[in-house]
Amino acid sequence: MTILKRSGWLGLAALVLAGCAPKEKVVRIAVALPVTGDIAALGQGINRACQMALEDAHAKGFFKDFKVEAKLFDDRSDPREAVSVANRIISDPSMVAVVGHFNSGCTIPASQVYARAHLPMITPAASNPRLTLQQMEPDWKYPRNIFRVNTTDDVQGPYGADYAVKTLKARRVAIIHDKTAYGQGVAEEFKKRLVALGGVALSFDGVTVADKDFNALLTKIRDANPQLVYWGGDYAGGGLIVRQARGSDIKVPIVLSEANLDPEYLRVAGKSAEGTYITFLGAPASVLPSAREFVKRYEARYPGDELKAYDHWGYEAMSIIVDLIHEVGPDREKILASLPKIKHEGVLGVTQFDEKGDTLNKTITIFQVKDGKFVPLK
Amino acid sequence: MTKPAKWGLWGSGLVLLILIPYLLQSTPASFCIRIAGIAGLYMLLALGLNVVIGFVGLLDLGFMAFYAIGSYTAAILSIQKVPFVWCVLASMLASCLIRILIGFPALRLRGDYLAVVTLGFGEVVRLVATNWDALTNGPKGLPRVGQSIRPASLFGFELTSNLHYYYLILACVLAAVWVCERLNHSRVGRAWVAIREDEVAAELMGVEVTRQKVVAFGLSAAFAGLAGAIFAHWEGFVTPESFTFWESVLLVCAVVLGGMGSIPGVILGTLCIVLVPEILRSVLGSYFANARYLLFGLSLILMAIYRPQGLWPSKRRTHELKPTEAGEDHARETLYDAERK
Amino acid sequence: MILQQLINGLTLGSLYALIALGYTMVYGVLLMINFAHSEIFMCGAFVSLLCYVRFSAFMPPAQAFLAGIMLSFAVCALLAFLIERIAYRPLRRASRLAPLISAIGVSILLQNAVFLWISDQSLAYPHAFEIKHFEWLGARFNSLQLLILGIAFVLMITLHFFVNKTRLGTAIRATAQDATTASLMGIPVNSIIAITFFIGGALGGVAGALNGMYYGSIKYNMGFMPGTKAFTAAVLGGIGNIPGAMWGGIILGVLEAMVAGFIPNGSDWKDVIAFLVLLIILLFKPDGLFGKHVPDKV
Repeated sequence: MTILKRSGWLGLAALVLAGCAPKEKVVRIAVALPVTGDIAALGQGINRACQMALEDAHAKGFFKDFKVEAKLFDDRSDPREAVSVANRIISDPSMVAVVGHFNSGCTIPASQVYARAHLPMITPAASNPRLTLQQMEPDWKYPRNIFRVNTTDDVQGPYGADYAVKTLKARRVAIIHDKTAYGQGVAEEFKKRLVALGGVALSFDGVTVADKDFNALLTKIRDANPQLVYWGGDYAGGGLIVRQARGSDIKVPIVLSEANLDPEYLRVAGKSAEGTYITFLGAPASVLPSAREFVKRYEARYPGDELKAYDHWGYEAMSIIVDLIHEVGPDREKILASLPKIKHEGVLGVTQFDEKGDTLNKTITIFQVKDGKFVPLK
Repeated sequence: MTKPAKWGLWGSGLVLLILIPYLLQSTPASFCIRIAGIAGLYMLLALGLNVVIGFVGLLDLGFMAFYAIGSYTAAILSIQKVPFVWCVLASMLASCLIRILIGFPALRLRGDYLAVVTLGFGEVVRLVATNWDALTNGPKGLPRVGQSIRPASLFGFELTSNLHYYYLILACVLAAVWVCERLNHSRVGRAWVAIREDEVAAELMGVEVTRQKVVAFGLSAAFAGLAGAIFAHWEGFVTPESFTFWESVLLVCAVVLGGMGSIPGVILGTLCIVLVPEILRSVLGSYFANARYLLFGLSLILMAIYRPQGLWPSKRRTHELKPTEAGEDHARETLYDAERK
Repeated sequence: MILQQLINGLTLGSLYALIALGYTMVYGVLLMINFAHSEIFMCGAFVSLLCYVRFSAFMPPAQAFLAGIMLSFAVCALLAFLIERIAYRPLRRASRLAPLISAIGVSILLQNAVFLWISDQSLAYPHAFEIKHFEWLGARFNSLQLLILGIAFVLMITLHFFVNKTRLGTAIRATAQDATTASLMGIPVNSIIAITFFIGGALGGVAGALNGMYYGSIKYNMGFMPGTKAFTAAVLGGIGNIPGAMWGGIILGVLEAMVAGFIPNGSDWKDVIAFLVLLIILLFKPDGLFGKHVPDKV
């Protein structure tokens, strides 16, 4: 054989061998959020924060033998879509963990799907207590895989009631919610605590946010002379309620739940938002010293995108996962086993989980709108 | 096509429908089983709706209400530990009864008023489900904390995975198709067609119009109730959000797009409604996700204009709907051409 | 208190009435439910907002807002006209379900077009005027409600006058009554239909602008709820009947306000009651409150 022919064969052999070499292992983390729909802005924000967390991990040189990717899934705030998304995620063997979902109504059914597949899930925002409580029930046959980095409604609602009664000295309260699992849930928690503190819930009404007209309800409330109005729901309804309440000449303080801490609320409510109070789960990025750095880097990385309320939780959830992958390897079961024991220091301060999977971080901050901006009190 | 060839085709189709999901189970494409299951549920619903729209010719814009009634009945009973089969029967019965109760007085209404009544009723059911906390736990959905919907068990076999439910749904769809086909070719079916074509003439010819309409209503609701019961057990979670007006509208589209009154058409129409967004989603990617609805809307308009008889029309419909010959068109242009029956 | 809720209800009802007119006029001449009308309403809101934002750069806000309304009047009229031309005219001779499907398609198309190319979020509608509060006989209301009532009232009176006292209006009524005969009488039926869509669209567009201003936020899917309710209001009044649509809208609005205002937890149940009233009325008076029963041709 001539030299040319031999080198030709060798070259071919080399190519074949290269092709047969094991491909680089790809590990995926699912990010399941509503990036379209009513609260798309919040979902998109969390997604950006997650991407940033992943990039930071890569920058630290965490992953040597494998590639880690984050794959985004849109659940459109629809429970059925969330379950479909969950099914899609668990059928992909390269998935090792899930960050998501956002709405409690979506996270709860999806979490059951993940549980069946032993896939760990950390939610950055779902606040309904039932999400983690369901793991404690006797007929929960799966390993505990549901975790959350944010505080729950059964802490937020009562905190709002405490503030209303003790600080704002209001005992007669009119309560409105948006008839969603989240809104009604947090409003009910508020009411329980209010009544326990000796206050009176003058009314407990649900509204359909799509209707947009709450004047009839608000005039009825105004005539009942409340000392405070409480809104449980997200900013789409919150902005409208506040605007129409002031338009109906309701002058008393208004307290809203945390999903209203968003620039959109300020835009919709306009000047009417001035002076309203908002309870917020945990301490927001602008307040925590550990988070200020995060805020600066976020603004540098995403110029032109506003920092949204839940972004730093998304960042934290993702950081916890990538840190664990770095420590114990890209394996669902190992991550699942290590999650309950972690003590993570990051943008939220120190995060640890209790036996239900809820974070031990139960701080609540009250904000007030001053001069068109959210200002934390205390 | 000769009869044996037809049988061969259907038979092999059936075998594929049974085998493929089984094989796909442990592959990354296993989520397709769930999509197929959902498509199957919609097919059950569409077949039910087809009885009312396609066979009898009445426009129904609130069909999801009966799906909701079926789901909630099954959920409530299942939480009380009633076995699956009884839940299903109860759901079908509940849907049927309520449908007939509502349908009876509505039967006097003219076509479009009936459409509005059905729309109104659909919304009422959804709103009641959202507000009647004591019964349905409102927007938080069933089951409540500390309760659960028991997994369905048929003859002692527990259905737990997507694949099990897929087979159950497949069996139900096949049964439904068989029922519809038999009815179509029976006296009842012919009575329905007569009513659709010209109600007054049918009455004069001795067709018991009211009775046949009630039968149609009842049957369609039974399908919806069955689908609802299966849905409740499969998802394990029932919320009012799943039963919006928009879903009813999509069902109507599925039936009309596929070809009203045509059973293969309805099946095809449903497949399109369920699969096309999925396919477009994977083709266009997440960020173009909503462009698929845009395309969907566009395709509805184009379908209505260029192929009103549907994708797979029943032969009768084609003759009704094909526009007249070109020569005749011109002659008729001068008269008011908006006149239609 | 009753007066208070009456004012709330009238304001809401007049918005419903404006939208209902669009549905009823189209049904009257074409016997077709124009599903896309709720999206025309939505487009009116967006057009007026975008104009307002542009114009307020060089005009005082009040004027910019009025300019916005006028532009949404014109643009939505044109939009309705185009929709009729493109999506409904080819289907004149088809079954009655084909235009319905086409209308649904247009509705989906418009919603998603706005979603993709304008915004998928709520857009805030800034206050164009300082809101003044008034009190009269114990009822407190604001200048915004007065403005809406005023504009809606003027439009409805104008329409009423137009339909009943002008030749064009008579032509529309003739076409609605019996299209074949109308065409034999020399009425250009196709043009009349186009004009009907024009008017219906214009009214829907203005309703959208007013709705945006009153509630302060607009979104791509805002048309659905008011559209469905206005449609039921049109049926309540007798579909095809123009004064019926106006009354139906007002009655529905007042009914909703009364239920929300006086029944405990009324806010939760007001939609159910509105639909139930519709169902009951249809069951006892199948052609609506003011509809005339047209016997089926034998």
